[in-house]
Amino acid sequence: MDDRKIQILIDSLWPMVKAALQFTIPLALISFILGMVLAVFVALVRIWKVPVLSQIADFYVWVIRGTPLLVQLFIIFFGLPSIGIEFDPFPAAIIGFTLNMGAYNSEIVRAAIQSISNGQWEAAYSLGMTRGQALRRIVLPQAARVSVPPLSNSFISLVKDTSLAYTITVVEMFQVSKQITATTYEPLLLYCEVAVLYLVICTVLNALQNVMEKRLSRFSTR
Amino acid sequence: MIEIRNLHKSFGSLEVLKGVDLSLEKGKVLVIIGPSGSGKTTLLRCLNLLETPDAGSLKLGETELNFDNGRKPAKPQVLKLRQNTGMVFQSYNLFPHKTAIENVMEAQVVVQKKHKEEARKRSAALLAKVGLTGKEDSYPHQLSGGQQQRVGIARALATDPQVMLFDEPTSALDPELVGEVLKVMKDLAAEGMTMVVVTHEMKFAAEAADTVVLMDGGQILEQGPPEQVLRNPSSERAAQFLNLLTEKEV
Repeated sequence: MDDRKIQILIDSLWPMVKAALQFTIPLALISFILGMVLAVFVALVRIWKVPVLSQIADFYVWVIRGTPLLVQLFIIFFGLPSIGIEFDPFPAAIIGFTLNMGAYNSEIVRAAIQSISNGQWEAAYSLGMTRGQALRRIVLPQAARVSVPPLSNSFISLVKDTSLAYTITVVEMFQVSKQITATTYEPLLLYCEVAVLYLVICTVLNALQNVMEKRLSRFSTR
Repeated sequence: MIEIRNLHKSFGSLEVLKGVDLSLEKGKVLVIIGPSGSGKTTLLRCLNLLETPDAGSLKLGETELNFDNGRKPAKPQVLKLRQNTGMVFQSYNLFPHKTAIENVMEAQVVVQKKHKEEARKRSAALLAKVGLTGKEDSYPHQLSGGQQQRVGIARALATDPQVMLFDEPTSALDPELVGEVLKVMKDLAAEGMTMVVVTHEMKFAAEAADTVVLMDGGQILEQGPPEQVLRNPSSERAAQFLNLLTEKEV
């Protein structure tokens, strides 16, 4: 590799890392957290078969899982303005990714809650707990442990999917690599560089998953 | 303490309780025996409303509930009744993510809103009472079945229930561990705790029960003091069931 290429690699590193810190990581984090709130709500509404709300939740999960994420982002950012609803690129991306996470993660949360034996609910009820208390104190902490691996999976996918946000003009990490490619004509070099950066982020997340699994395995469920 | 009148319960088309009447005075021990599928566990679970009866009435302590015409008890009444009862489960159902002492503290802190330190003190005393001093910080999976079930008893006692309900508390235990659980139960009975016990332990029934009820097909077949029900049952069906049990023990 010649000096020029090495120089391009070095020069492009900080703009990409900066884009990751400014957009890619915040986008993933915020969408995941908001998506989890939505996911728990949707999961409970469906488990408890709350009238009306559970039908809305079924419909929501069906639509989000049955349509491409890219199409969802386009509808939010390019489609909605024609009926007077306009978002800036970043909030539009947050909304899109949150809705996506909410739908997918609600299935994970639902399965995790349903994997906790009925005897746990009954023991909590027999002590005089309300449904909310039983859920918060007894069932969710156990369900959380079961759902760490699949939720980590979903978070790692999300980190990579944030690259789609470039299509709705968010200047995230992948968009920066594209811009630099456009001026340097080194696509292989720069796209490999950005790939390595995604790999680094996901490796860190993997390590975090391991730590969380260890922490939560102080007890065994059966 | 407990008054049950004409209690009915069906699961779908299966009628599990076909009109059960029962009463129990404070400080007495009622043992319910009977073949599997006779409705004894369902009856016990109706007492703390883990199952809602379809018809009949239930009085437990000061709580009076009527289920006729599809009436359902109000939530505060359900919670109150459950706080007045403690239940011990066949499969223990301890909270696996909490230590032994945290299991016992849970209801005191969450339901009774006691201060944590106060709850911890009382829980340590209860664990001592069931012979588990030194196991406070063990997680359930680190304990033997017998120890787990004794934590289960301490947990059920933690909120000072007026009645203790036992659902086949020794059925999941290895034979050599049954004794330690029965001993704790006998001690409780001797202290004057009001208890309803579903069990297959005939020896416990004979020694600890004030009244034995034999259920079959969703109805009470025999009811009376243990020596009468266990030794001289009045019906053919009861004699048959008791014979089967004795044969199994030999």
